[in-house]
Parts: sequence; C-alpha cells; structure tokens
Amino acid sequence: MSKNIYKLTILLMMLNPCSLYAAGDYESGKSKSQVCAACHGIDGNSKITMYPILAGQYKNYLVNALHAYKSGKRNNAIMSGFAAGLTNQDIDDLATYFSNQKGLKILPVK
Amino acid sequence: MFSDNLHAEQEIDIGKQKSETCLGCHAIHGYNNVYPTYKVPKLAGQHADYITSALKSYQKKERQHNTMHANAIALSDEDINYIAKYFESLK
Repeated sequence: MSKNIYKLTILLMMLNPCSLYAAGDYESGKSKSQVCAACHGIDGNSKITMYPILAGQYKNYLVNALHAYKSGKRNNAIMSGFAAGLTNQDIDDLATYFSNQKGLKILPVK
Repeated sequence: MFSDNLHAEQEIDIGKQKSETCLGCHAIHGYNNVYPTYKVPKLAGQHADYITSALKSYQKKERQHNTMHANAIALSDEDINYIAKYFESLK
C-alpha cells in the first residue's frame, strides 16, 4: 500500500505540468528581461535606488514575488501591470536569469 | 533627514547592531519561508531606499507577511534608516 502511494507520488511529480518551480531557461530569461532593465538594470543591478536589486536573489523568491504581483497578493502599480502579462514559463525564465547574476548576498553573521 | 547628527559610518554601525534579529532568517543560506515555500530573500547589498520602503510597507500591512509585520512594527523610522544603510553598505 505505502509502496503504491510512493510510486503514485513520484508519477504525479513527474507529470505535473504546472509546477511553480519548473526549470527556467537562462537565455530566454535574458531576452525577456529587456523590459525589466529600464528600472532594474540590464543584469538586475538597478541604479535607481527605489527599485530593488534582483541580481543574485534566490530564484524561488523571485518566482514567488512575480506570482504574488500577478495574483494581486502583492500590490504595486508598476509591477502588477508587468506581471499580469507573464506566463509561468516567463516567470521561471526571468527568475533563472536574474538569480544567476552577481549581486545580492545573505547577511553576514558577524 | 537623520544624517545631520551622525556620520555615515556611525549610522551603519548602529544599523549592524539593530539588525541582529534579522540574522536568524536572512543570514542562513537557503533558509526557507513556508506557506508558501520560497527562500528568505538575500538582503546584503540591497538599496537602502528599497529596504526602507519594504519595511514601511510591512509595518502598514500593505505588504503582507506576518513575521515581517511583527518585526517591522517594532522598528522606529530611525531604526529602519540605520538598518537599511547597513544592508546597503554590504555590497
């Protein structure tokens, strides 16, 4: 019984077509990121201090943020407009691109 | 607006002291938020203006996150200014 549940779980994981964390494509993300560059910089290191640096941010944090803007859970006049037009694949691609740039780090302990 | 009395280095130093609480989540590599699950964002090197805006949004619940609201309401405007400058200094 438990073996079957295990097999079924694996099967569902393999078949799930709309996972939020599907593999993003770096090159697609790079080309789609041109819209973002005006505010967030070409590589996500924004020069305008009211707009966050995205470079080096965790991929699934960026994915979650874009979905939150898209769903309206997170409100921002500018970002809501952009996120509304993004597919899950677009979001994964963009997050893959920005998370792979050199930029943000975790806070140091000392 | 607060920098008349203190030098930038002093502000950053105060920010470092005041950001101890943040380290429990934001200084651990790959630490997860749950429901929904995603990694707690990296903040070192982030713009001070953005950090300030984010913390004030959490205070007002314009940006919704229970843990961040609880932490943000404990901060004065001065605290936020120092913490934001400390994070920005970590480029």
